[in-house]
Amino acid sequence: MEDKKNKFQIFLEFMRERLPLQKMNFETMVQKKEVPIHRMSWAYYLGGLTLLFFIIQLVTGTLLLFYYQSTVSDAYVSVEFITLYVKSGFLIRNLHTWSSSCMIFCLLAHMITTFAMKAFDRPREITWITGVLLLMLTFAFGFTGYLLPWHQIAVNATKVVLQSIEMVGQYLPGSLSTFPTYLKELIQGETSVGQATLSRFTALHVVILPLLFFGVLGLHLLSVQLHGMSQGVDKPTGKKEKFFPIFIIKDFWVWGCVFLGVFILAQCLPFESFSAYPLFEAYNSLGSTPDGIKPEWYFYFIYYPLEMLPFWVIMIGQVVAGVGLILTPWIFKHTSRKVLGMIAWLVTAYLVIITVFGPQIYEVVKGAH
Amino acid sequence: MRAVVISALLLFVYQVQADAYPEFQRYSKEVSGRPIDCAICHKNSDGPEGLKHGQIGSLNSEELKALGAARRAFKPGANVKNPILNEFGNSILNQLGKEKILMLRQHPELLSAALDPTSDLDNDGITDAEEFEDGTHPLNPLDGKPLKLFKNNLKKNRFDIFMLILATGFGVYGLSNALLWLSSKMEKKE
Amino acid sequence: MFDQFMFVGLPYVALFSFIVGSIVRYRCRQFSYSSLSTQFLEDRWLAWASFPWHVGILIILMGHLVAFAMPGLWSSLMSVPLFLLVVEAIGVLCSFLCLMGLIILLVRRFVDAKLQAVTSYLDIIALIILLFQVCSGLSIALMHRWGAAWAPGALGPYLHSIFLLKPDVSLVVDMPVFVKLHIMSACVLIMFFPFTRLVHALSLPFQYFVRAPQKVVWTNTRAQARFEKKEKYEHERRLFLKAAVGVGSSIILLSLGTLDKFLSYFLKQDTTNSEQSHILAKKLQHLKQSAAERELELERMRQSSIFVANLSELSRDRGKYFIDYLMRPALAFIDEEGYPILLSAKCTHLGCTVGQNVDKDGRILCPCHISYFSIKTGEPSEGSPAKEPLPHLGWEIRDGQGNILVEQDSAGSRKGTLDEALKNNGKLYIAKRFS
Repeated sequence: MEDKKNKFQIFLEFMRERLPLQKMNFETMVQKKEVPIHRMSWAYYLGGLTLLFFIIQLVTGTLLLFYYQSTVSDAYVSVEFITLYVKSGFLIRNLHTWSSSCMIFCLLAHMITTFAMKAFDRPREITWITGVLLLMLTFAFGFTGYLLPWHQIAVNATKVVLQSIEMVGQYLPGSLSTFPTYLKELIQGETSVGQATLSRFTALHVVILPLLFFGVLGLHLLSVQLHGMSQGVDKPTGKKEKFFPIFIIKDFWVWGCVFLGVFILAQCLPFESFSAYPLFEAYNSLGSTPDGIKPEWYFYFIYYPLEMLPFWVIMIGQVVAGVGLILTPWIFKHTSRKVLGMIAWLVTAYLVIITVFGPQIYEVVKGAH
Repeated sequence: MRAVVISALLLFVYQVQADAYPEFQRYSKEVSGRPIDCAICHKNSDGPEGLKHGQIGSLNSEELKALGAARRAFKPGANVKNPILNEFGNSILNQLGKEKILMLRQHPELLSAALDPTSDLDNDGITDAEEFEDGTHPLNPLDGKPLKLFKNNLKKNRFDIFMLILATGFGVYGLSNALLWLSSKMEKKE
Repeated sequence: MFDQFMFVGLPYVALFSFIVGSIVRYRCRQFSYSSLSTQFLEDRWLAWASFPWHVGILIILMGHLVAFAMPGLWSSLMSVPLFLLVVEAIGVLCSFLCLMGLIILLVRRFVDAKLQAVTSYLDIIALIILLFQVCSGLSIALMHRWGAAWAPGALGPYLHSIFLLKPDVSLVVDMPVFVKLHIMSACVLIMFFPFTRLVHALSLPFQYFVRAPQKVVWTNTRAQARFEKKEKYEHERRLFLKAAVGVGSSIILLSLGTLDKFLSYFLKQDTTNSEQSHILAKKLQHLKQSAAERELELERMRQSSIFVANLSELSRDRGKYFIDYLMRPALAFIDEEGYPILLSAKCTHLGCTVGQNVDKDGRILCPCHISYFSIKTGEPSEGSPAKEPLPHLGWEIRDGQGNILVEQDSAGSRKGTLDEALKNNGKLYIAKRFS
């Protein structure tokens, strides 16, 4: 009889524990759900904040779609029309830009804190894996959306990133070395970034990625609600508060204050004022490229090391990080929260330093050569 | 036919003097740390030379005449409109005159002091002279040093922000009381 | 003369009467500061009259006070159309409430027997003046709309002039009839104020808000328990009300704000004619640029060779710009022997278009980041930010009939020689096979 427990049954049992759909009744999901109170309880709000910013993105993005035209001759002018002539157009567009940065910031904070709280531990592996997928989808959102205004930095930064895919070819043997070029042209749609790229990036950003995101987010939230909030610390205080309605109301409280902050920023601080204006002029394929082309700040943690270190280091690093992220629940299964906390601090320090001081470090390293 | 010959001749004659003034660009980049391009004063971001829109090669005979008149504006207050310069470039030309501009080429650090300290062509709350020093575009209301723009826009939009603070305040007050109400209700149950 | 009496004399007489009368009445007949309520005589109609009247008139008086005391703030608030609409609507609604209250108050004194016995002439006069005041105010609101916006500016100075003892009647003489009536009856009301029951308005129970709550102690435990349960219930209800009011007002404000800001997002944008033509001109310019680029692309797709220039037009120190088969800007020069030199003008550093003038060392300059390139070799000079050379392009020289007489590929291997005749008549072409 023991033989009956074949691989498929082991898999079923695994899934049964990770997706306890039998818990989907009103009593367990609503009435009895509780949130632990401890010194890391503040981190429980970060996931909700990411969701808030995503909702803002959905709404503002849909509004922008009313006026945006995704052709190479009209894209730039349509965005300018929204910003300068449509009532509240500047607010909507700036809110979309600020909210995208805020969403990624909250998402990274959410990932690091859940890692430090060991929330990926059994039985919450599916939550973690769907979370990693959401991270990748969010970065894809950022990458595809950045191209749409079709200004100098949009097109040139996209070209730079896609070119780096091509560079992988030199490390691949034989006829495989042309595969990255093939992949790059698949993404671009033509030999260089042009109308085909813009059309497909629009389709990705507006339809395909949102649908995928909804699907994965649904699974992620379902998993969170089925398992409830994780313990969070090694020694629980024993104090808990009800999810419905206490935690939810506190969540809305935080959402209200954060929305106020992001609104003030969006109304008063144009996102583009942080960079030099030539980068935001209309893209001119026959003209010059302005100084200072670089991707958005949330890509700095790859971009600056790419500029400073040999390409193969980055390639291997990315593969290791990607695989490591997905398999975290198994790699760190037996790691204590103390060590996880240390790793989290190290990762935070790296991300903060490379993002804030990246350009300066690059100058120093370049100058030394 | 004659018009073509004359304009070709004019083009040839004036091409000898056709230099942009990169000294100002270099100075602004040094001082502000922001890389600017020719579009700060010119219509085309690649500068005055070439065949594209806003460059000398694309001008018709009317515009070439205006160009000539602008090139002769050695004294301030000439009120000319150079077709290859934008509003800021023309404002510098009309305020200072070509003679002073040529002198300032050797001392670009004196340009902002020479300009009208109250002029703010894009109405973003930062004067044109300040924007030149900061390396931000004087005709783009969304371009400026972030902190300055933030302070000015905060003042401009204080009504909307005040209303949202009021709404958030009410909401926070309401939600806090809702929490108290609910916890008191739940105590009663227990 | 009439205006001088009505708008200078009468206000001061009224103010004098009000101030002196109220003080004298307080000193001599303090207990007469009463509303002389008839609630215990007739309370059903009174409920329907007194509550709407008081609510309505207090809101209206508050609005008048704020508008005249802080005209700057009020005007800036009223410049928001949504606010103006809301304020005017509230004003009209409150005046209807006042009218309803006053009419019932008046009628009940004539209809109820018990009330007739205690009604004096002054009561009726007070009610009629109040009724007239409200009616004239409502007429102004209906006939000269948006008073909330124009009144502080139009009548504020007049009021200030009265209180600053520098009365200026010229500020009101041109006002419409109902406005003048409203002002006159206000003065009459103020004048009669200390002689009627309206003095009850001066005895405001402020202490009620700040006195300590009174602790009630019951004599038996069951009543005490019942009372405490009621207190707790009331406390909870108060919290619920506060929560509901807070969240409710927040939602109302947010909805108003969203409506105000985002409804106009979807409408046709009201741009001026010059703005519209500016936008269209820019769109057209971009379209033309796109069209020109595509025409160039088409030409390069279709033609196996494209005309660049007549050989006689080219010079040694000034290059001619053209677009090559890869859609890059390129330059054409001539060397000492008369053979053409063609190189790409897209700087190998960051893609700026390199300048066309050759200096005494045979170099052209890219102005963006100052790179010098030799036109003979295409190599960047020492210290240039560009590291790669500008590639040379292949060319053909054809005669008038289109026969290729001299050609050179991009590597530099040449076929054919140039003679004097060709130097004058030759046409320079770029060829697809060399790209």
